[in-house]
Amino acid sequence: MPSDNKKKRAHSAREKPSQYGSDIDLENYNYSTSKPNDLESLDELSEQDRILTQEVGFDPSQERVSATFMQFDNESFLADVLIQQEGLEVMPTDQALQKYDWLHDYLWNAVQVDTDKYTARSELENYSGYFIRATAGSKIKMPVQSCLIMKKNQSVQNVHNIVIAEEGSELHIITGCATPSNVEQSLHLGVSEFYVKKKARLTFTMVHRWSEMTDVRPRSATIVEENGTFISSYAILSPLKSIQTFPKVRLVEPGAKADLYSVVYGSKKSKYDIGGLLSLEAPNSSGKVISRSIATDECEIIARGDLIGLSGETRGRLECDGLLVSNTAVIRAVPMLAARAEGSELSHEATVGKVGAEQLSYLMSRGLNEEEATSLIIRGFVKLKVPDLPPALQKSIDDAIKMSMEGSM
Amino acid sequence: MNDDILLETRDLRVEVNGVPILGGIDLTFKIGQVYAVLGPNASGKSTLAKTIMGLPEYKVTGGDILFNSKSILGESITDRARMGIAYAFQTPPRISGVKLDDFICRVCPDYQCSDDSETFMGETCACKQILYDDFERLGIRNLANRDLNDGFSGGELKRSELFQVLSMRPKVMFLDEPDSGLDYDSLKIVGKELKAIREKHEVTLVIISHHRYVLEFLEVDKVYILQHGKLVYIGDMSDIPVLEEKGYERFLAEMTG
Repeated sequence: MPSDNKKKRAHSAREKPSQYGSDIDLENYNYSTSKPNDLESLDELSEQDRILTQEVGFDPSQERVSATFMQFDNESFLADVLIQQEGLEVMPTDQALQKYDWLHDYLWNAVQVDTDKYTARSELENYSGYFIRATAGSKIKMPVQSCLIMKKNQSVQNVHNIVIAEEGSELHIITGCATPSNVEQSLHLGVSEFYVKKKARLTFTMVHRWSEMTDVRPRSATIVEENGTFISSYAILSPLKSIQTFPKVRLVEPGAKADLYSVVYGSKKSKYDIGGLLSLEAPNSSGKVISRSIATDECEIIARGDLIGLSGETRGRLECDGLLVSNTAVIRAVPMLAARAEGSELSHEATVGKVGAEQLSYLMSRGLNEEEATSLIIRGFVKLKVPDLPPALQKSIDDAIKMSMEGSM
Repeated sequence: MNDDILLETRDLRVEVNGVPILGGIDLTFKIGQVYAVLGPNASGKSTLAKTIMGLPEYKVTGGDILFNSKSILGESITDRARMGIAYAFQTPPRISGVKLDDFICRVCPDYQCSDDSETFMGETCACKQILYDDFERLGIRNLANRDLNDGFSGGELKRSELFQVLSMRPKVMFLDEPDSGLDYDSLKIVGKELKAIREKHEVTLVIISHHRYVLEFLEVDKVYILQHGKLVYIGDMSDIPVLEEKGYERFLAEMTG
């Protein structure tokens, strides 16, 4: 699609509200007008920023990673591939688009530019973000880490990420997005497009930690080809103003597979509307959408899952489980199944419940106090069997729960 | 003389959901002794143990529970557990995502990880090997990596409960039907374990049962029989064969006139 056509479509969708989530007035924010600067090295990070990045699973020492990408607001960057990694490319999206003509075919291909006003706006303003590619056959064993930090008030962080795992490659990405808690009113628009080619394997782990005044509208989609595998795990552990996201994964060729996991730890008056859609479009494609939500304080969580079977010989599984830890919080689980072909097997399970009194008594009779017992039940509840979940992320989830328990009880 | 009384109930009255279950019970449990609390179904045996443990559904409407001569009615379950009261559940609830071995490392002082508490849910800890050897003794090594009480068989639940309760090094332990659902081999394992405890004379053991299987493996110092929420008979080991022969109804009719 020529780029002026994209702009045209974006313009046409400027006012188009999102299918889900509360509406945001996009005129209330400042958009970046300047070109971003380079960040020399991670040594320039302040101690405060260093801690913030670690909370979303980032490792500033870069010990166990193959590459690092870091971005502050829309302003400064670091993209660093550790030298010994052949077949791995990490760079800001705009640079990559200049370098590779063919990349324009991937821009707004998985995600449609006229999906809603957020995708439209993202295209119409200056954007940054990362381009990550594993070339055909490269097995990048160590994860690529990325961290997007938003620190300015009244502003928008607008990123457009493109990830390509070429044929037969293996790529792991851990990405964190964070805002220091003192940031007032801000908006994160994040478009992410993932392409998993034949027999490639991509794992993508994302942790979010926002401030209570941040609205977040990520828009992401993935296309998985023959015998490719996409595994996504997402965790949001902080309060925020609102988030609405509904990533879509299309399994377009035989044998394609995708698992989407999410953990939402809701607190304060935050509103979370988080889902996942799996479109099974070729024989022998299969996948799972699994979510665990914990609602504390006065938060509101909507957990959506959508399976669409467009081909026979497909299998999809949906699990939406919620745990209420407060009388003033709400969890709504919305499972959706649509089979449009004979031989598409789709199933779901959705449960929403409170921490069981019997479980509490039982654990307390083993010497745990009420707070410890509740925390253990919650930790057990979110203990998903996620393949390749980095220990740092598991620890981050555990810590968030622990901190929140200490704060609220 | 009263020095060796560990736990006693005085005119203990308990109701559950507004229904009276115990109608004034006086019992004493001495240090290092073994007790069998017997009685027909619905006599209040389990209620007695659960009330002493402090489970919230069991409401004390009168009387008192004294532990080391002090009332514990105001203490939480946690406090009671920490002061040395343990209760092996008859049907313990499933706790998803919490592995049996991690859990035991978490709650039992003997197996407490030397690693800091932050990582107790992590991959491995050095103390696990000792734990696994002990699991082997009770035949539950296969459960180590399973979620707590998730899909355990009847016999596995009993042995896992016994293991947990023992590891807490309690002063008094209530075993709620430790022999129900056990095959003969499991029964032997449990019986042997209980006998070993008895021989140390450190822990007061209270076995709640309505039959005598496990009692064949260890000597009981005292037998309490409850009926309709009241203590109706105090006896000893020698009563058990007679009881078995006659059944509760005839036995109690003859003994209590």
